[in-house]
Amino acid sequence: MKVSELVALGGFKVFNTYGDREIKGVYISDMVSDIIGISEGNLLVTLQTHKNLIAAANLVDVAAVVFTRGKAPADDVIALAAKAGIGLLGFEGDTWMLAKKLYESGVR
Amino acid sequence: MTKDSCEHRWAMANIRHGYLVIEGCFHCRSRISFFSDEPVPPIDDYMEGEHFWSHLGDFQASKFDLRCEKCAAAVPLTDVMALMLCMRCNPECGVFKAGDAGPGKKTWVYAALCADTSHTKGKCLPEAGLRALNEYFNAGLHDPGKLIRIVPCHLRKSVDTCQGVVLADVGLTDIY
Repeated sequence: MKVSELVALGGFKVFNTYGDREIKGVYISDMVSDIIGISEGNLLVTLQTHKNLIAAANLVDVAAVVFTRGKAPADDVIALAAKAGIGLLGFEGDTWMLAKKLYESGVR
Repeated sequence: MTKDSCEHRWAMANIRHGYLVIEGCFHCRSRISFFSDEPVPPIDDYMEGEHFWSHLGDFQASKFDLRCEKCAAAVPLTDVMALMLCMRCNPECGVFKAGDAGPGKKTWVYAALCADTSHTKGKCLPEAGLRALNEYFNAGLHDPGKLIRIVPCHLRKSVDTCQGVVLADVGLTDIY
């Protein structure tokens, strides 16, 4: 599934212009130090909205980031993500709700 | 295949979770950092020679080594305390200059931070670890125009004015 197909499922807020990457997997974490171990192409699901997260997401080349529970990143975070070509999405529900939605949509 | 001729395929190994602890000496204003895998990071002041080290901060962090999946070569990254994304705040800084890879490349520079933050002992990170880190993080990038450069922190012009973003979990253990 591509990021655009995920957005088309509905329920997502789009914070920036995203590169339409293929989602190769999903990783859920709220720790920057944990994220740096994941592989390229993952959809990163998190509650953290700070710059450190984008710095880590760029290093491991994620497909996009989804902030759950309606969390929204600050403008400087969005700007850094845009520079890195990382799509930032928001989801009103909690992480478990999103995990179910992703699984039911065929994302593995 | 020998380890010398292997085109390594690095993977993380020996992953440890703990804290990145920063200390400062109020006599000479030097700063050091170390990784603590204790359940609670140490915060006590102590004397070491002419230094009087005080706790300045700690952040949840992870450490890892790299091991080649093909030839089993191992590169310990014991001296790497954290990685820091350069925010390109100072054109005179060596880390900033490392981002000038020429046209056609979108270069992102990360400084690998060693334990001797102020570099008072004149040592920084070993070349083998930096080379392996560069190979690891550049392997399989989606965009062929993207380049990750990991450089030693001794290139940084000023610890005090640097605006780099450290890849550590700032704030997770604080109580506001």
